[in-house]
Parts: sequence; structure tokens; C-alpha cells
Amino acid sequence: MPRSQNKHVTWRVVLASWRVGAIWLGAFIAILVMGGFLVAWSGVYSVAASRGHWPGFRLLLEFGMRSSVRTHALGIDVPNLDDPALVERGAGHFQGGCAPCHGAPGRPSSPIVYAMLPEPPDLGATVPAWKTNELFWIVKNGLKYTGMPAWPAQQRDDEVWAVVAFLQRLPNTTASEYQALANLEPRRQEVPIRALAQGGPIGTGLAACSRCHALDGAGRPSGAFPRLDIQTAEYLFLQLQSYDQDTRHSGIMQPVAAELEEAEMRRLAEYYASQRPVQRQEPAAGNEASVARGQRLATIGLPDQGIPPCLSCHVEDPAVRDPLYPALSGQYASYTIQQLELYKSGRRRGTPAAEIMSVMAERLTAEQIKAVSIYLSGLQAAR
Amino acid sequence: MEAQQSVLSPAGADAQSIATLSWIMFCAAALIFFGVVLITIFAHKGNEAWRRRLSSNAFIFCVGIIFPTVTLVALLIYGLMLTGARVMATEADALHIEVVGEQWWWRVRYTESGAVTANEIRVPVGRQVEIKLTSADVIHSFWAPNLAGKVDMIPGVVNVIRLRATKTGTYRGQCAEYCGGPHALMAFHVIALEPAQFEEWLAEQQRPARSPTGALQIEGESRFISKGCNACHTIRGTAANGAIGPDLTHVGGRISLAAATLPNDVRSFGRWIRDNQHIKPNNRMPPFGVLTDRELAALAAYLEGLQ
Amino acid sequence: MTDYPHALPRPKAELAELEKIWKVPTGFRLLTAVNNTYIGLFYVGAALLFFILAGILALLMRLQLAVPENTLIDQGTYNQFFTMHGTVMMFLFAVPVVEAIGVLLLPQMQAARDLPFPRLSAFAFWAYFIGGLVFFGSLFFDLAPDGGWFMYPPLTSTRFSPGENADFWLVGIGFIEISAIAGAIEIIVGILRTRAPGMTLDKMPVFAWSMLVFAGMIVFAFPAVILATFLLELERAFDWPFFIAERGGDPLLWQHLFWFFGHPEVYIIFLPAAGMVSMIVPTMTGVPLRAYKLIVVALVATGFFSFGLWVHHMFATGIPELSLAFFSAASMAVAIPSGIQVFAWIATIAAGRLRLTVPSLFILGFLAIFVIGGLTGVMVAMVPFDWQVHDSYFIVAHLHYVLFGGMVFPVFAAIYYWLPAVSPGRLSERLGRWAFALMFAGFNVAFFPMHIAGLMGMPRRVYTYAEGLGWEWYNLVSTIGAFTLAAGVAVVLADVLLNFRLSLAGNAGNVWRAGTLEWLPNSAHGTRSIPPVTSREPLWDDEKLAGDVDAGRYYLPGAPTGGRETLVTSAVEAVPQYVLQVQGPSWRPFFAAVFTAAFFLLLTVKLVMPALLCGVLTLAMIIAWLWQTDPGVNHPPVDIGGGTVLPVYVTGSSSHSWWAMVILLLVAASLFIALIFSYLYIWTVSPEVWPARMPAVIWPLASAVAFILSSAAIAFAGRMLARRWALCLSIILACLALAAAWYFEFQGQWQSGLRPSASSYAALVYTVTAVEGQLVVTAVIMGLYTITRSLAGLLTPVRRATYDNTMLLWHYTVGQGLLGLLIVHGFPRLAG
Repeated sequence: MPRSQNKHVTWRVVLASWRVGAIWLGAFIAILVMGGFLVAWSGVYSVAASRGHWPGFRLLLEFGMRSSVRTHALGIDVPNLDDPALVERGAGHFQGGCAPCHGAPGRPSSPIVYAMLPEPPDLGATVPAWKTNELFWIVKNGLKYTGMPAWPAQQRDDEVWAVVAFLQRLPNTTASEYQALANLEPRRQEVPIRALAQGGPIGTGLAACSRCHALDGAGRPSGAFPRLDIQTAEYLFLQLQSYDQDTRHSGIMQPVAAELEEAEMRRLAEYYASQRPVQRQEPAAGNEASVARGQRLATIGLPDQGIPPCLSCHVEDPAVRDPLYPALSGQYASYTIQQLELYKSGRRRGTPAAEIMSVMAERLTAEQIKAVSIYLSGLQAAR
Repeated sequence: MEAQQSVLSPAGADAQSIATLSWIMFCAAALIFFGVVLITIFAHKGNEAWRRRLSSNAFIFCVGIIFPTVTLVALLIYGLMLTGARVMATEADALHIEVVGEQWWWRVRYTESGAVTANEIRVPVGRQVEIKLTSADVIHSFWAPNLAGKVDMIPGVVNVIRLRATKTGTYRGQCAEYCGGPHALMAFHVIALEPAQFEEWLAEQQRPARSPTGALQIEGESRFISKGCNACHTIRGTAANGAIGPDLTHVGGRISLAAATLPNDVRSFGRWIRDNQHIKPNNRMPPFGVLTDRELAALAAYLEGLQ
Repeated sequence: MTDYPHALPRPKAELAELEKIWKVPTGFRLLTAVNNTYIGLFYVGAALLFFILAGILALLMRLQLAVPENTLIDQGTYNQFFTMHGTVMMFLFAVPVVEAIGVLLLPQMQAARDLPFPRLSAFAFWAYFIGGLVFFGSLFFDLAPDGGWFMYPPLTSTRFSPGENADFWLVGIGFIEISAIAGAIEIIVGILRTRAPGMTLDKMPVFAWSMLVFAGMIVFAFPAVILATFLLELERAFDWPFFIAERGGDPLLWQHLFWFFGHPEVYIIFLPAAGMVSMIVPTMTGVPLRAYKLIVVALVATGFFSFGLWVHHMFATGIPELSLAFFSAASMAVAIPSGIQVFAWIATIAAGRLRLTVPSLFILGFLAIFVIGGLTGVMVAMVPFDWQVHDSYFIVAHLHYVLFGGMVFPVFAAIYYWLPAVSPGRLSERLGRWAFALMFAGFNVAFFPMHIAGLMGMPRRVYTYAEGLGWEWYNLVSTIGAFTLAAGVAVVLADVLLNFRLSLAGNAGNVWRAGTLEWLPNSAHGTRSIPPVTSREPLWDDEKLAGDVDAGRYYLPGAPTGGRETLVTSAVEAVPQYVLQVQGPSWRPFFAAVFTAAFFLLLTVKLVMPALLCGVLTLAMIIAWLWQTDPGVNHPPVDIGGGTVLPVYVTGSSSHSWWAMVILLLVAASLFIALIFSYLYIWTVSPEVWPARMPAVIWPLASAVAFILSSAAIAFAGRMLARRWALCLSIILACLALAAAWYFEFQGQWQSGLRPSASSYAALVYTVTAVEGQLVVTAVIMGLYTITRSLAGLLTPVRRATYDNTMLLWHYTVGQGLLGLLIVHGFPRLAG
């Protein structure tokens, strides 16, 4: 009893109409792929940088690039970039990492660079055209086909933000301001004779280090750069090695460390370890409750939350402290906070010591990190 | 010595009465099951008379209502008597112990003497033991099946379990409430000793750690401090007074390491300190890959020596 | 017979028109299909897909446990696997599959053309399917929940589970529960109001009874777990300390709420399966079911008792002895109704001649396994025994004997039994026998040894175990059994792929010589005409029934209103009351479901803005869908045959939408009761966090006055349906008063300095406010919707269903608000 045909789902008819469409689409795609391959194989397209792009093509590329950056930068939240320490840190890297191609205030780049296609732009002029989150995306990811490299340490968004913080200041930075920010006058005469005598020729290395960490290893008052003078030579040497081997990640330190020979690293480490630490920061003051919390964390810990006291490994007395464990007393709070955050978010991994520290940092809240870092920064640096 | 962990070989008063109940129920259940199978076969293949009987309302009424009601009431009364037996009073000479479940080990403290140990409970045979159970983090459950049923360890709540071991021996227990991560590796031992032996052991536990002997052990002791082990662990009699991890004062004398995960020997100490995250993933102790082989050997020798 | 409602021959065009109206969309428009048979089949298919996926997880876990200290699957993955296995089996397979079989079969069993809210079924299905797939997909990104399927805090709190894994469970399961509730409302109204004329409650197929109890239990049980997940998510997201002991919370509150749902859940799954068995056994023996009434009483009793057992999952938590005794007794008592059913089935077998077909085999297998599961169930109801085996592999064995034996075997029997109703032929008897043999043997080999492993001390949820504890052989045998069982399931799949072709009109017909209406000649529109019912097995009583029905001799042989219709009858006596115009295919429920799923899942991964966008789109889709309901009197009363003339539009308490709204309010009330229970429970645990000082009395008083005012305004609006402006004004007044009432309560608490993260008390007080706030927002949206309908001229004193439903919700909202005030402000004064 053929009661009704339309109650069967007529899969066949549906499939047939889809099939025809699919065949056409397939054929079209096949022709496109074949055509593209033929063009590439024939070699008629010139890859010469000397010839420039076809008119209009350049506009299209730039349009595509701008759109791509805009779309990919959506959803990137911009942190507060007003901290002068961030700008200093960014400037320090800019001189070594960016200026060679892009130039810097008062310091044009090499004519060789002008022959690149595309030519690296003068950032002072082009930066205002980008939004902050877009700048971040470009610095972090680089730009394909332009020669703009990605940030070498993809874990270190904080470093990228430092560069962005500086870039935003760049259009209004004069040549002399830039000199000061990037510390371009390594007052070589200040290199103590003692250091030279002790370490031999560490000139270039020390020049690179001291631009940020200063000759006495105490960094700058803003706390933009960690103090080296409070650490032991073993510790500093190990860190340089880890940067070089990328077991400790940094887009700023890795290029510097990669330039150094092992012997140079040792001498630089010894040089800085031999500096006499001076008290840089006032003992933590202000919010008493917060200081008390910091002190408690540093000296007693929070056993019920599995947090041991910091100072039981990072012992204040360097004679007792294990040489692999860094000193925290007197270290700038901003640096300690930043490193603990990196540990906590799993971005500082790779060395056996980092495996220990990240377990501890994961148990700390952001407030606890802040409180304890401020407390530690106020302690007397010992040697 | 193979430790047991079974409901079916009781070594405690509670476990014994539950085991008896279990066997009664298993036998009854087997009888009932085969009865039902038999009835079904008769219902399907039996002769007319049988099938008429089996299809009557009276059959459904008797077998479906009256029989289970009677059986269940009897069982319930028996069960309630046993339940009451467990919720018995604490005896005057009972031994008091506090056990705290922590991710993923057991903190043990003897109330009267203050002796502290971990992952191992020694009890005297024949004497009642009252254990106060609680948790420092998530819910755990304290279960040593040879001795008694389980009791949950709940943060904010103190539960009590009362045991009486009837035979000497080593019994294994395990956390029975899923507590995340390596829940599977959170076990412990209960060791039932003759009373005299127990007192001797308890006295030993109250003493501070014995001093290291030999260069290796002495180096180990100083490494224990300089590498930061003391931040989490206590060794009474030394500067190590951390409160986060297990008390290690007499760790060398325990029968296992890491909550009954590893045997207690020098090699296990070394493996555990350096590689614990592979042996027991996510456990709360960081792996000490920073130690050199020499340092590790020294630490292991020192800890193993803490009998 | 001379008293057929309609004479033959029927007009030629009648059947063609009926078919045209009920035509199922084809091509990609199949997504808009709402017909119960299609949605039912999609639903069954999706549920079986999840069964297979979760089964694969089980096989992987069995591989890991095959030998001690295995390293095949790491700890983190294993923990996700067992959590997902349990969760998917319970929420994405077991409940949906029985709901699906209900949606598929109930209208046919009752000779209805469709369920009363076909678009709601479609919505429920798509939300479940899309959401379920994404939820399962979380496994591939290491984001799957890993706290066990009962997600006990504090393990699942932010402190111990900081990742998003737990949120996937809490939020992901949340809307699958919503989907289940939507389905339950549909099924209750469908069973009570769309039966064939004369199918009084005592002539209803047992399966319909079991589904009625099933759906009723969902209405009362699911709100408890929805509340629990809501509380835990509030704690995780905003630090409201419901389960944190240091701030007066209690981890055991979760267990109470979870098991108040979780234990009935077991019977929610089992009862429909028992209903299926009660359908198949009579057919296969050729005689009516023995002790029909006793079985119905047993079903209802089971449903009732099951709410009194939840504490037997908590015997080891150290609760007082008196509670232990009560819950132990109740847990044993629930065995009796199951016993009644088992022996009634055996009695039916004795009364007839059992044909050993594949469905019969699966049912015999079910009987054997279920009896063992029931016996071990009685054992674990014994408190001291439970202290030993609780959370051990003995429980794993027990729960699989009850659930796999009690539910999966009947479902496979049902697949073999009912598939011919939607396919041109039966499945293969030969493959079916193989499948049964493999599944039965495999099941017992896999699960029986687990009893022993558990008694030998093996706890559940362990990803590995040490050598030397004597567990090795039992585990290895279990693994072998599990793969045998899987092979059996694979044979069934192969059988379905080989022998199943979807065909409604061309189905195989009454191949088993069954007596119930789903075996009448059927098509997308259900039966051609709707027969009056005078017994439980109409097809056995009247051999010509099938032919007469198909010739159109009975009620409603065509589509007199020109659209989809079904007959609404009275709830008890099944007297025809009106012709319900049901809705046809639409994209609206589909997209509403897509956006609902997207809303919840985006929220889980904390993409708040896109989630809100999807929420707004959901609302838009639902309003667009709602707009087409409430058709009004668009057709004069129709003669359905035999001189019975019925209206096509009814409002008030006999309308199907009124019933649905009342059931929805029961759901809301269950949730509120669970919340009040939580409040009182936390008070018994931590009275110290109850405040000494309360907000000034003026705040709750103002709030109460505003509540009452708003109810009065809504009632007044009901008299102004003819006067548009007066209606709009009074509804606006009602909205304002309602919002003010809520604001006064909130502000009173806030002004007093109370903050929700301060203590469990504060968190609960604000939760009462938050739950009320949800209702207030819904009521206001419905108020504005009612105004819009009125302004569009779609609301009149006759066409008033929109107003009626808004009014019901409104009064309930006010009632709950007042009760909330009484408790939040009265109880602390009383107790303090």
C-alpha cells in the first residue's frame, strides 16, 4: 500500500544535487592550484628586492598587513604602561635589538638597511599610526616577508610590553633623552682598574651589561633592571649560561648572552659578584598589614597553604646560602614580582632550579607575591 | 613482608563482625539469585500446574512483597545492631591518635605522647584505639579494610574511628575518597604490635633524631639545611623545623616512603628526592634536580640513617 | 459495527493534505524538523553516539588497569577519563536515551499525532547534542573535568582545581540539565493531555506510566543539582564560600544537594527501562502483563522512595546514627517495588509462552544481571557493610550491574523490539543472538570480578595499583570481559548499519503481534485516524482496528484546520477536550539551541562578551519562536467525528500551556526549596556566622509591599485585556513594583554592610536574592512581551494565553519573593 512517497526522506535526490555542485567546485579548485604551480615553476615572477613591487600590489600588501594585525590584535588587553621602569627596560633593548634596522633618535641606520624591501620604517614617524595592542602584536610576532623578526622568547610578553612602552614614547624622544634612557655613554673611564686587572679584557661584555645593570651591578633606581651585585658568581654564571642555552628565556638577555664566550661569562659573573652591595631601597613601609604579610611569608611561610618561608632557601647570609639559590634581600621588588609571576604562569621553566621555584610560586596569590617582594626588597643586601 | 588490604581477612574487631555479616549476605544472595533463576526456568519450561501457580497474583504477592519484607526487616535489625556496635563509647585506657589527610599523605600524631610520624600507624594489639580524623585540604577517606570500615576525612569536621586490632601484623590501608591527582598513590600502613613492642617503639618515636655517622651522612645533614629541605620538613633535634611535609625524624625506621608508594631504602630516597614528580605526579614536593649525584647520595644516606 | 465515527469512503484529497501538512523537511532543512519521530530518532542516535564515546573511554581505562603499575595512560588523563566516562554516561547517554525513546514512542503509543510542544523537543535535542559534543571535545584539549562525576568540593574549588576543567562540568552540565527539564515538561504534558480518547490512566501503557514518573522525578530532582552547580560556580567565580569550612560553609552541603539529585537519577534511568520491559514481556509471551496495577504502584512508589535515600551515598561521612538507621531502612524498602516488578514479569512469562527472540534474550539477561545488582544493592544499604565497600570496586561492580544490567540491556532489547516500527524490516536475529551472547558473557566477565577486587581492598578511581595485593588477575579478567562486551556492542552497531533504513510510512508493521497502539499503521502524522481506546491491548481486542484506523474511520482523519493538529484529552478520563494546533518545522528552535549552547560554553572559557551576545540572540530566537504560539480562535470548532465537536483554542486551566507553565513553576519551586534547605542546613552546621544585627525592618517591609502591589497590578491587568492602554499601564506598574521589591531587598542587605564573600550565611542570603532576581528578570521580560502582544493586537479577552502564563509566573515570583523575605529576615531573628 503505497500510502505516501514523500514520507521517505529522498536522500538520493539531495545527495545528487550536492554531488554536482561539489564536482564543479573541485574542478575549479584544481585549475587554480595547477595554474599557481605553473606560474611558480616557470620562474617568471622576479623575487629581486631591487625591483620593487608592481604598482598597486604594494598597497594591497600593506592593506592586508594592516588588516591582519588589526584582526589578530583584537582581544589583547593592554596593561598599564606608565611605569618609567618599563620604558627604560624597553629603551635598553631597543638600542641593541631595534635600532640597527629602524634607527633611533639622532642615530640613523646603515644605508644597507635602506636597500631592504620593504625598507624598515623610521618608527618615530610610524608608531602613532598603530594602536597599542597592535604594536604589541607586531613586536611579539614579527611580520612575515618584511624581515621583521618575532620576539625570540615567546614566553616573555612582559618584555614585549616594555618595548611597546618605550615605542609609545619614541615619537617624543629627543636624541639626548634617548642617550640617557638607553645609557649610551658607557663611561669607560669608570670601569675600575681593579675589575680590569681581575678579569682581564671584559670591555665589550661589560659595556653591554653595564648599559642596563650599571657598572656597579645595582641597576637603576627605577628598578627596571635586577641587581647583580648582590648575587654570587656561581649564580650569575649559571644564569648567563641558561640564557645562552635558552633554558631561561628572555628576548633581551639571550642575544647578549649568546655573544659571550664561556670564559667571558665567568669573568663578568666574578666582576659583578665582587661589587660591594649598597643599600638601594628603603625598608618596606606603608601598608603595615601588607608588610607584616610579606614578612610572615618570607620568614615563616604559610604551612597550611604549603608555602615554605622564602628565606629558608634564599638565606640572607651568603656564606650559608646554597650558591645555586639567588639572594633576594635587597633585590628590586618589581623584578622579584615579575619573576614570581613568570614562575607562577609556567613561563620560567627549563632548569632544575626553576622546577623547584615554580612549584612554590604556583601556590602564591598575586597579593602575596607583591607583599613578599616588597618586604624582601627592603632587607639589607648582604655579602 | 607482604601487607594485606582485604575485607575478607579481618584482623580487627569491627572488620571481623562486618566480615561475618558479609558472608551471611553473600550466601543469602546466592540462594536468592539461584532461586529466581530456578523460578524463571520453571515459569518458562515448567508444567502447567507450576506455571499456573507462578502466574497467580498470590505468587507475586508472596515472593514479591512478603518474602523481601521479612528478609529485609531481619537484615536491617542485624545491621543496626552492628552499626550501634561501631558507635561504641571510648574506653578509658584507649590510645588516642590524630590523623590528618593531606594531598597525598597522612600526618599522624599520638595525642598522649605527642609523637609525630607519617603514613604509618603503629598500634598495640588488643587495646582500643581512637583515631580523630580530619583533612587539611580536600576530602579523603581513611580505610584499612583488615581492621574496620572507612571513615571520611572532611575539612572542618573531626570524625572518629575506633579500632581494635586482634592480630599482630602489617595491614595496608588506602585513601578511598577520590582526592585528585595521585589519589591512587595515597596509602598507609597500620602495624599491630605486641603492647610491649609498641611502647618501645613509641618511646623511640618521642626521642629526637639520632646523629649522623660517617662523612656521607654528616654531609647529608648539612645539605638537608642548605638545599632547603628544612623549609618543609622537621627533623627533631636539628634546625629543620618545616611544618609542610611529613616529619622525618625517624623516617628511616618506617616501612615505606611517599605514602606507601616506594620501599624504604637508600635507593628509593634518592629516586624520590630527585624524581618524585615522575614517581607520584603532581605531589606537593618539588623535584630536586639541582642536586648532584654526590649530594643526593649524602642526603639519602642521612635520611635512611634516621631510624 | 455501525458506530464508527466516520463513514467510508473518506474524501480523496484528505489523506494527501494530511501528508502534505506533516511532510518532513528534506536536505539541510532536516535541521528544522520537529516531528517527534525524527527528533526521537536523532535523540536516540546522539545518545548512542555518546554511549560509544564514553564506552571507548572505559576500554582505555580497562587497558590501563589490565596490569599493575601500568604506564599506558598518565594520571591526569586517567582522572579526566573516569570523570568524563561517568558524566557522559549519566548525563549524555542514560537520561537522554530514555527521554529519546519516550519522545519517539509516546505519541504513537497514545495515538497522538505529535507531542504538544514539538519545537520544545527540537530545542531540547539540539541544545543537548551541540553542547554535548563540545563538552566531550574538551577531552582533546586537556580541559575535561577531572574531579570525578560527582565533583565533590573542596577538590573542585578554585583552590584545588584552578583550571577551567571544573567549569566545563559545572556550566556544561547545567544546560544539559535544562534540556532534560524541557524534555520532561514536554513528556508530562504529552502523557497527561494527548492520549487517545478513552485511554484512561488505568489503560495507559506501562511505559507511559514509567515515563510519567521519570519526568516527574526530573522535575523534582534536577533542580537540586542545578542549584548545586550554581552555588559551586558562584564560589569558583566570585568567592562566595558555600563549601569553604573556614568561612562557615560545608563541603557536605554539596553532597546532600548532589545526591538528592543523584540517587533519584538512578531510578530516573531505571524506571523507563523497567517500563520498556513491561511492554516487551507481554508481547513476547502473548498475554497481558500480570499485576498491571501493582506494577504501576511499584513505579510510583519507587519514584517516591528514591527521594528519601540520598544519604546512603554518605554513610562514611560520619553522620549521626539516627540518620543512618532511617536511610538504611529506606534504602532497603526501595528494593521491594523492584522485587514486585521482577516477579510480575516472571508471572507473565509463566502465564504465556515466551518466544525466545532477541528482545526476549536481552530481557532474560537483564533479569539475571539486575537481580544480582539489586542484591548487592541491599548489601550496601547495610550501613556496616557499606563502610567497608563504599568507594571501592565493589561499588563500581554494583552500579554497573544496576545501570548496565537494569538500563542498557532493556534499551538494547528496545532497539531490537521497536526498530521495525521505523524501518522496513527487523534487525537480524542471528547477529542479535551473537550480540546478546557477547554482551552478556562480556558484561559478567568484566564486572563480576570487580566485586572481589573491591572486597580485596581496591578503591575506585585509581589510575594504577601496586603489585602484590592480589588484584592482578581480577583486573586482567575484567579487561578481557570489557573488550568482549564491546565486541557485542559492535555487533549491534553492525546489525543496525546493515539492516536499519529509516522509513516511517514503509515500516515493517506489527512484526511481534503486539497489542499496543504504536504498532498501528503509522507515518509522520502518526496514525491516519485516532481510535477510541477501551482496553490496555486494543490491537489484541479488535483485529480490524489497524485497517479501520488506516482507512480513516476514527477520529480526526484529516486536518480540518489546515495545519498540524493533535487531540487534547482530559488528564484522567481521556475525554476529548479540544484540537490542539501544534507547530511545524522552524529554524527558530534550532538556532535558539545553537545560541544557548554557545552562551554556556563561551561563558565557561570566560569569553564574556561573545557569550552575552549569544545570550541575547537566544532570547531573540525564543521570543521569535514564542510569537507564533498562542494562535487564538483562528478556526470555528471542528467535528472530529461521531458528532464530537471540539474547539480549536482553549485558555485557562484546561489549556496545555497552562499545564506546562505550572510544571515549570514546580521546577522553580523545587530549586527554591533546595535553596532553603541549603540555608537551614548551613545554619545547623555553622550557626556562628548568622548575624547578630539585621538590616532595618523597613527594607523587607518596603519590599513586601512592592511585591504585593506588583501582583495586584498584574491581576488588575487581567481585567483590562480589552482596554489596551490600561493593560499596558498596569503591567508597567507591575514591572516597576517588582523591580523595586527586588531592589529594596538587595539594597537592604547591601546597606547593612553584608558582602557575599564574607561568610556562607552572606553568600546564601545573596543567593536567595540572585535566584529571585532571575525570576524577576524573566517576569519583566514576559511582561514587556505581553505588552507588545497587546499593542500588536494579539491579546484579547479571548486570546489570552500569553497573559495567563505571564500572570502565573508573576504570582509565583511574588510568592517566592515573599517567602524568601520571610525566611531571610524572619529566621535569624527567630533563631538568634
